[in-house]
This record gives sequence, structure tokens and C-alpha cells, in this order.
Amino acid sequence: MQDILELAVSATASGCVYGLIALAYLLMIRPTGIINFAVGEWAMVAAFGGHLLLSKYEWNYAIGMAVVVAFMLLVGWISERIAVRPLVEKGATLLAPILALLGMLVITREIISVSFPPDPLPVPGPFGIGRLEFGSIGGTYQSFFIIAIAGAAFVAAWLFFEKTLWGKSFEAVALNRRAAALMGINLSRVTALSFAGGAGVAGLGGLLVSPNVSAHYLMGVPLAIQGFTALVIGGVGRVEGALLGGLLLAFAEQFTARYAPIPSGYAQGVPLLLLMVFLLVRPTGLLKARA
Amino acid sequence: MRNSLFAALLLFGATALAQETIKIGVITDRVGVSKPYSEPATEGAVFGAAEINRRGGILGRKIELLVEDDQSRPDISAALARKLVDQGAVFIMSISLSPATQQQQTVTMEAKTPQMTPMNSADYLTTQLQNPYFWQTGPLGSTQGATLLAHARSKNFKRVALITDNSDLGSAIAKAFKGALEKAGIEIVAEEVVARGATTATPQLQKIRSANPEAMFLAGVLTAENVLIFRAYKELGLKFPIHSSYNLSVPIYETVAKGLVNGITFVDAYDPDKPEVKAFVAAYKNATGKDSQNLHGYGYDGINLIADAIRRAGSTDKEKIREAMQQTNYAGVMGARGMKYSFPDGKRAGFDPNGMVVRVYESDRQGRVLHVGQK
Repeated sequence: MQDILELAVSATASGCVYGLIALAYLLMIRPTGIINFAVGEWAMVAAFGGHLLLSKYEWNYAIGMAVVVAFMLLVGWISERIAVRPLVEKGATLLAPILALLGMLVITREIISVSFPPDPLPVPGPFGIGRLEFGSIGGTYQSFFIIAIAGAAFVAAWLFFEKTLWGKSFEAVALNRRAAALMGINLSRVTALSFAGGAGVAGLGGLLVSPNVSAHYLMGVPLAIQGFTALVIGGVGRVEGALLGGLLLAFAEQFTARYAPIPSGYAQGVPLLLLMVFLLVRPTGLLKARA
Repeated sequence: MRNSLFAALLLFGATALAQETIKIGVITDRVGVSKPYSEPATEGAVFGAAEINRRGGILGRKIELLVEDDQSRPDISAALARKLVDQGAVFIMSISLSPATQQQQTVTMEAKTPQMTPMNSADYLTTQLQNPYFWQTGPLGSTQGATLLAHARSKNFKRVALITDNSDLGSAIAKAFKGALEKAGIEIVAEEVVARGATTATPQLQKIRSANPEAMFLAGVLTAENVLIFRAYKELGLKFPIHSSYNLSVPIYETVAKGLVNGITFVDAYDPDKPEVKAFVAAYKNATGKDSQNLHGYGYDGINLIADAIRRAGSTDKEKIREAMQQTNYAGVMGARGMKYSFPDGKRAGFDPNGMVVRVYESDRQGRVLHVGQK
């Protein structure tokens, strides 16, 4: 029993990270229809930022994290300016910015890979390495930290969409771009904000996971795939869907690796199986968008 | 910077005119997958060549390194070997990956140009091609496994766990470990794989914990995933010893896995307490201002083995160098205390099968030697 609870904490933490990456996709895909696979690379950039500020220069943890996330907002905003807006303004189809963003993905990774040594670099956690026990629930400091910060980010995102006028304008654009524009909503501002927010959230995910996985220039692709899978499972319509998808994916991964009576190597196939099943049976994901 | 480099080249050119240099080709990897290993080895070779030249060179002539980068790509390495032969290299040192070195052999065999690799570990390099102009002085993969197992046998383990990652090399090493462990009659009670890109290794280590092994063998080669394994091991409060492959001899773990590696034993070809190593470490620091690693020793030994052969050949005639190289009997930086490189009975793999050691991490540093050889 203790094992199950311990694994549940670990899976919840991983699920929160996947959920954040899924949320990053969702923030951009909802109002613009653009799927941006560079979210994984954004998470990677933030992990390197974490290495520089928190490990190399040993900044105060909270300030370091805030600076990295702020920097990522800027990265997202610039990406939109470079790879999306010029194409949209020229009347290109949706495929054009998607391909341009794939180009940005490669450029981002190459910049990092030539600027840093090839080996993984350490990123510290705020509380170091250790365990926390609440009765029979035990987990690592980092797991609980990930759950708390990601939880707060999800609550903030939910409140933004449900309670603020800005959030409502995002929803309006998602439902009907033309009508929203006619109602006086500034489409390009919504797009710019959605990219900035996407990069900020992806960066937060990268920062939170980097004390576990280290900062490495190849870390982006697996995160992008895990986040995408979570998005497909949870559905692209709602913030809660991203979190639910991430949690389901992580629980499936870790509980099969631990308990399924199959060789350990095969357990890696579970996420892909889950992805295929959902695409076939329920392509809209678990949670539907509100009409 | 560029100007001073240019001036240095001019100066170098001027002395070369006055007295022809002995050209030695180096094929390394500066941007590919082997960069973390090849770069330090190349620095060791460059330092070694400078040291030889400071002491008057070989046969009264300076040596000149012609360095090429093949990115560990077999498809371009043969062309670079050809280029080096055409430029007059009398010996080629290969320090990228084994498959690239293998391709270069097609050129050196045909051009009858001596070639050696000081650090490649693939067992097939001297067995697949009968190339009398090629030698390998890196420790063989089979020697690494046998040395680790010899240490494990001395502990009388009955039940062990095996963990690796899903990379090609990691799977291959795990397979070799498994075969050797089973042959030694040791039961493998858990066999786990951590996938590339995983965010935790907790499920795998929970499973190993519940199997209750006496020790865990680590065959993984992906640094980030190995760090995940060490984190989970520490966070779950596990106590059984970890015995690791040669991969842990790469010094990156001292920084990226700080606080996680103490007590882990690993195979290496380097004894920090050996007199030759102490002399090398001091001389390297003195000349470059930087600390050397075990990997630097490979390139340093490589250039010194080549210089030793040319010196004994008494000429730069490639056939005479080949004969001299085959007679090598040389103690270098790498290898256990007292080990000498040699090629007995016409063999061309020269690292003594009993020359590897098992070391242990202490205070986040690669520490002392615990075990030597395969006995």
C-alpha cells in the first residue's frame, strides 16, 4: 500500500509536468488553431535558464524562477512576431505558421546545443534532495514542489478563462474569430498573448522537471510528445482537460512500469497505445469544450 | 586571437622549413556524439605532442599534428584518412567512435600507413580486418565487463538487479552483463529499463526494491537517465551497492549528479594513485592551467606510443615503424599500476586484459581503486 501511495505522488508530479506542457499547447491552439511543437524546446530553454541562474550564479530560487518565466513570456511573444504574424498578415493558411514554428524549434535547439557543453547540466531543486512523509503518503521534496506550483498555475489559468474579461475574449476568439473581431476584440493581441502565455507555461514545466532530468539540449522532444499525448487524452477544449490528460498519462506510464507483468522495456509502449486508442475512439479527448 | 594564431602558424612553418617535421594525423570528433570523450583525448594528445617537442622531438625532428574532425561519421572518416596519408602523415591516431575507426582502416591497410586508436573499445577492430598496420590500445568492451564481474564475484552475490536505458549501447551492455552474470551463477531478480526522456525512475526502483537484491548492476549510458536512477535510489533510501559500467568513468557525473554518486563503484582504466598518472596530472596542469581527466590520458598515451615506435624504428619509414610498433612494451598513464601496453603473439589489441580497475566515487569525486584485473 505504501508503495502505491508513494508511486501515486511520483505519478502526480510527472502528470503535472505533462499537464503544463499540454496547457501550453492548448493556450495557443484554442484561439489560433495553431499547434506549436516547439513547446518542448521552450521547456528546454527554461531548464537551461534554470541551470544558469540557479546553479551557476546561485540566485534566490523564487527570483530566479520568476526571471526565467518572464524571459519565456518574451520568447513566446518574439516567436509569434517572427514566425506567425507575418504569415497570418499575408493571408497564409494555418499550415504555414505551423511549419515556420517547426523551423523555430530546430533553430532554438541548435542555439542551445552550440552555446552549452554537450553533457546534461545540473539544475537544483529549491529544497534539495530528500523525502517528505504525511502519514503513509511519502514523496520527494521536488514531487511536492512540482504539484504545488503546477496546481497554482492551473488554478490561475482556470480563473483567467472563467472569471476575467480577457479570458472571455480568448474564448470568444476560439469560438468564432470573425465574430470576435467584429465585436472589437483585437485578434493579433490575443494571438501574441496566447504565444507568450504558452511559452511561459511550457517554461514553467521545463523548470519544474529539470531538477529531475537535468538540463539537456535533447530534453525537449520527449516532453513535447508527452504533453501532446496528454492534450489528446484530455481534450483541447478546457484547462482541466490538460491536467486530467497529463495525470492519466503519468499514472498509466508509472503503474504499468511498476505492476504490469510484462518486461520493463515494453512498458514504454503504454503512452503510445493510449494515444492511439484515444485518437481512434475519442478524438475530442475526455473533456469537451463548452459550446 | 586570430592574428596570434596566424603568427604562431607562420613561426611553425618557418621552423618546419628549416627542419622537416614528422607529421602525425589525428582523426577526432569535435561536434558529433563522441565529442564529450574525443575532445579531452585530443587535448591530451596535443599536450603530449608539445611535451615531446619541448624535449627535442623524435630523431631530432619536431612532430606536427594534423587534426581532422570526422564527427564520428564512418561515411566521411575514410576520406579524411586518405587526406592525411596524402599530406604525408606517417601515423594516424583515431579518437572518434569505433565504426569510424573501422572505416579508416580500409585506407590505412591499402596505403600501408600505421594507424592506432588509443581509446576505442569495440572488440571487432583488430579481429574483423587483418590489417597489420592497425593497433588498438583502448581497453576492450569484453575486458570492461569481465573486470566488473570479477569484482562482483569477490563479493559473493547470489541475487542482483540489472537496470539500463533503452539506447542501443545501453541495451547491448545490459545484455553482455546479463550473460556474464548468469554464467557466473548469479540470479537476476529484477531487470528494469528506464526510457530516454522519462521524468522519473521511481517505478523501476520500487520494483527493484521489492525484489530485494544484494546489489544492482547499472548498464545505462545516457547521463540524464542515469541521474534519474541515482535520484530515485537516494530518494527511496535504498542501501544495496551499485556496480556500474564504464560509462560512470566520465567525469560529468561529479557535477551533474552531485550528492548522488558516493559509494557507486565503476570500471575504469585509470588509477589516480599511480606515479605515471600523478606526473601527468601535474605536468598537464602546469602547461595548460587546467585539470586533466582520465580521458586526457588516452590521447596522451596514444601520441607517446606513436613517438616511442618511431624512435625505436630510427626512421620515418612506415614499414620500419610498423615493425617497431608491433614490438611495443610501454607503460603509460592509462591502466592499472605496473601495466604495460604490448602486442604479444602477433595480437594488435594491446591493453592488458588485467589492466582495468574498479574505482569508487567518494565525496562526489572519482576516488580510489578497489579492485584490479579479472581475477
